[in-house]
Amino acid sequence: MAEARPTDLVEAMAGGDSGSPLSEFYALYSSTVLALLMKMLGSRAEAEEILQDVFVELWRRAPQYDSSRGSVVAWVVTVARSRALDALRARTRRHGDNQLQFFSERHGLGTDSGRPDVLVSSTRWHQALRQAFKRLSEDQRAVLELSYFLGMSHGQIAEALNLPVGTVKSRILAGMRELRAMLPIIHRSMVA
Amino acid sequence: MSDEKERAELLAALHAAGAASEEDEQELQALLEADPSLEEVVRDFQDSIAALASSFEPLETSPKTLGKIQKKIAQEKGGFLSRLRSWLAKS
Repeated sequence: MAEARPTDLVEAMAGGDSGSPLSEFYALYSSTVLALLMKMLGSRAEAEEILQDVFVELWRRAPQYDSSRGSVVAWVVTVARSRALDALRARTRRHGDNQLQFFSERHGLGTDSGRPDVLVSSTRWHQALRQAFKRLSEDQRAVLELSYFLGMSHGQIAEALNLPVGTVKSRILAGMRELRAMLPIIHRSMVA
Repeated sequence: MSDEKERAELLAALHAAGAASEEDEQELQALLEADPSLEEVVRDFQDSIAALASSFEPLETSPKTLGKIQKKIAQEKGGFLSRLRSWLAKS
C-alpha cells in the first residue's frame, strides 16, 4: 500500500482520528522532533516529556493547518521550537540558567553522530541538509542559532555578541538567503 | 532591489528566524496586508529555517511515548477541546 502523504495524515488528524494517521505521523516526524528538542534543551528526559506535548498539540491544532502557508515539516518544527522555547524560559525563571553559555557548550549545530541513541539509518535527507548547511559562514550560523534555537531578538543578540544591531540584522538576512538558496539543491539530492 | 523590497525581505527573514521585535512584526503584518505576494517570501524563509532545524541526526524515541500521547489525546476527546476542534474544523 502506498504511504500516505503528510498533508493527508494531518487532514485525517484534523477529523479527530488519533489512531493510524497519528501513528504514521509520529513515525515520520518524532525522531526529528526529538533531535531538535535535545539540541535546544540538552536533557533527554525533558525532551521526551516535551515531545509528548508537541504531538498532542499538533493533533489539537491539525484543523488549523494551512498548506498554503507552509510545509508540514515547517509546521511541525515551528510547534516543537515554540514548546522548547517555553521550556527554556521556564527553566530560566526557575534557575536563572545562562542559556547562551549552555548552547555554546553544546557546539550549536555540530553533529551528534557519536551519540548511542542516534538512529543508524540517518536518512539521505539529513545528510544532504547537513552538507548544505556547511555553506553558511560561522557568523551567519551564530546569529541564526541564537535567534532560532534560543529565541533571542536581534537586540539581544547584538548585546550578547557585542555587535551593532544593523550587523546582526544583515547577518540574519544573509544567512536566510543562503538557506533559501540551498533548498533546491537539497530537493534535487532527494530525487537523485 | 528597491529599498522597500529589501526592507520587506529583511522583515520576513527576521520573522522566520525568530529574531523580529514586536515593531518588526507589526510592520511585516502591514506589508503583508498591502502586498500578499510577500507571503511567498515568508513561506520560503520559514521552510528554509525548518529544514535547518530538522537537519540534526534523528534520535530514536522511546517505544512507550506514542502510547502516552494517544492516552493524553483520549482524555481530551469528549471534553471541551474536542468540541473546540470540531468548531475549528468547520470554520
